[in-house]
Amino acid sequence: MADTRETLKLVKDLSRKEIVFALAHLPGSSRFVFGGSDSMVYDVDLASAKPEPRSLGSHDSYVTGLAIAQRRAISGSYDGRLIWWDLDYQERLFTVEAHARWIRDVAASSDGKTVASVADDMVCRVWDAETGEKRFELRGHEAVTPHHFPSMLYACAFSPDGRYLASGDKVGHVVIWDLTTGQAAGTLEVPTMYTWDPSQRRHSIGGIRSLAFSPDGNRLAIGGMGKVGNIDHLEGLARVEIFDWRKAERSHEYAGDTFKGLVERLVFLASGDRLLAVGGTNDGFLMLFDLSQKSAKLQEKIGFHVHDAVVGDASNSIFLAGHGKLAEYELKV
Amino acid sequence: MSETRRERFCGSPEHALDRRRFLGTLAAGAAAFAADMTVLEVLKQPVIAQELKSQQKRVILLWLAGGSSQLETWDPKPGASTGGPFRAIPTSVPGIHISELMPKMAQRMEHTTIIRSLNTKNGDHGGGARLMMRGRMDDPSLRYPDLGAVLARELGQAHSAVPDYVSFYSATEGRDFAPDTAGFLGSRYAPMELTKTLMPENIRRPEGLSELDHAQRAELRELMSKRFARGRVSTDLGAHNEAYQRVRGLMASEKLFDLAQEPQKIRDEYGPTQFGEQALIARRLAEAGVPFVRVGRAWWDSHGQNFETHQEMVPELDHVMATLLDDLKRRGMLDSTLVITLAEFGRTPSINPSLGRDHFASAWSATLSGCGIKGGSVYGKTDALGQSVVDGEVGAAELFATIYKALGINPQKNYRVGSRPVPLTEPGTEPIETVLA
Repeated sequence: MADTRETLKLVKDLSRKEIVFALAHLPGSSRFVFGGSDSMVYDVDLASAKPEPRSLGSHDSYVTGLAIAQRRAISGSYDGRLIWWDLDYQERLFTVEAHARWIRDVAASSDGKTVASVADDMVCRVWDAETGEKRFELRGHEAVTPHHFPSMLYACAFSPDGRYLASGDKVGHVVIWDLTTGQAAGTLEVPTMYTWDPSQRRHSIGGIRSLAFSPDGNRLAIGGMGKVGNIDHLEGLARVEIFDWRKAERSHEYAGDTFKGLVERLVFLASGDRLLAVGGTNDGFLMLFDLSQKSAKLQEKIGFHVHDAVVGDASNSIFLAGHGKLAEYELKV
Repeated sequence: MSETRRERFCGSPEHALDRRRFLGTLAAGAAAFAADMTVLEVLKQPVIAQELKSQQKRVILLWLAGGSSQLETWDPKPGASTGGPFRAIPTSVPGIHISELMPKMAQRMEHTTIIRSLNTKNGDHGGGARLMMRGRMDDPSLRYPDLGAVLARELGQAHSAVPDYVSFYSATEGRDFAPDTAGFLGSRYAPMELTKTLMPENIRRPEGLSELDHAQRAELRELMSKRFARGRVSTDLGAHNEAYQRVRGLMASEKLFDLAQEPQKIRDEYGPTQFGEQALIARRLAEAGVPFVRVGRAWWDSHGQNFETHQEMVPELDHVMATLLDDLKRRGMLDSTLVITLAEFGRTPSINPSLGRDHFASAWSATLSGCGIKGGSVYGKTDALGQSVVDGEVGAAELFATIYKALGINPQKNYRVGSRPVPLTEPGTEPIETVLA
């Protein structure tokens, strides 16, 4: 395979006062939904010359998860609620009291029929995307860490066919759920992404912050941060591991050689041989991994901590959201 | 207690339980008597124990090293752009709200006063820690004692066999930023520092030495010492003999540090964390008469992931502090024990790109609970974003003056270093009267 060199070019950016934690794209359009530390959910057309976000409504705390199912957006928040929004009529449809503690991530199946949420109550819940009725309540993550502190359930992702759902927690435990039965189909352990400091500072940092299935559904990419020396800061190296999850075998390990910080979002490009990873510390980063060559094809510094990313319909448009900023980049091959 | 009496006491539980003599001793200042570890058993006698507990004042300092966030504990700003994601919850005292991370303390607010208006002007770990441990800025010409050493002197008993000042600090980070120090008060008030284990190292009698042999050696040493001292006047000799006496007491105090001596139910209440275990030992020490115990919980320096850090550590603080207050109250000790939460500074209202908060000394919080304190109150106020103090600004000196006065100590009391008078707090410093009982 001939080596190709990707480049990244900033197309436009949009400054925000808040920290944007979650971004979702309405397929077939240039419309995006985002939310963050001001507790609001916004709708914006990023194709317009001067994008003007419109408020859909608000939660009672940080908005930390967004997914699109059909023409609806589902937002999740630290207030424990999921809110369904109608994007055609720009209105709130209904609210579900989904979790007892902070919701960390929300995902939708590719057919738009199912939504999943994970929260610090350590439960993964699966919802009917149309009605908001609960389908499954999946419990496979310990509520406390081995060191007697509260654990956290950070990330979830559907397999492309919607049959499997992965969830990942603070101590590096991943469960892959079979949604035909509601039972665990497999588990993975990624302890490197959790740092407990037993002597210097006596608390912890890290956790699994991002998950993504490959387009064929056979691989699961897991993102976070490697072991941290000084846990006052996000100074561990950005880390991605990829597993053949059915065999529980790790096929790829990107231990990081350039950027420090958390990998906050993973997205496989449609071809399946490229994996996008974004995240950050005080600054942000974007990395593009070539799975066939097991190398990073692109490692770019981004001027803000990136919390979420969406790959556009054309696969060469990348939209980033993070600390005080939304930005569109063009990926050139 | 006179020295003669002290020397006559054999340490046996039978003598310790002679109530008439014991209460008579109390009237003469029996706290020293109680402080001898050999009479721990006496504390199981409710009447006598109550007499002791009500007379001696003690302090347990929960030192939140690295700087905990006032916004995620005692001064929440829900809804503000700086407020972070945690909500505020009502407490048992109408009108007072604290972070939702502290539901247990919220139910016990009647014992605690929150000081929300500290402006200590020093956002450096070392400088801030020295300031908040000593109540004043460094002076190149004088080594000031820290709070523990001052209280060891003011509240300790002259011939106590137990340590007057015990300091737990197990994490390595920040331990050297503000080492416990007796300063000009001298080594007599230096702390017993526990950094590696819950129990002091090297206080056990060597296995090859029987208790009888040990006692006889001590008697021989004492006899020879007295003969040597005849006709001599020397403070060094006195200090030398006192040091041996204290060593004997410390050896007898081993059980105080032994959590296995505590009922499992109580241990379960404090929980399995190191902080919980150290707080329980602090209570045991206070109960036995140790006037000052610092329990250092490090490390709160959350430049990255502030909310995760506080989500992890504040519930532990909430649980341990609430359990400690409950335990002290149940034992009749809360009115005579001052529990302090304090750090070297607080944390910035602004949230950095790593979702952290940085050092901030301009507007932060401390708490006082128990002895001498008007519980269920808040002193001072910060602005809507938590960036500055808008009412009741106080510094370290005022806080220390308040602590001293709560304990019945004159904040303007002078020590003498050579011919130089050194007041406990700088002249003109006023305690915060409104928080005092």
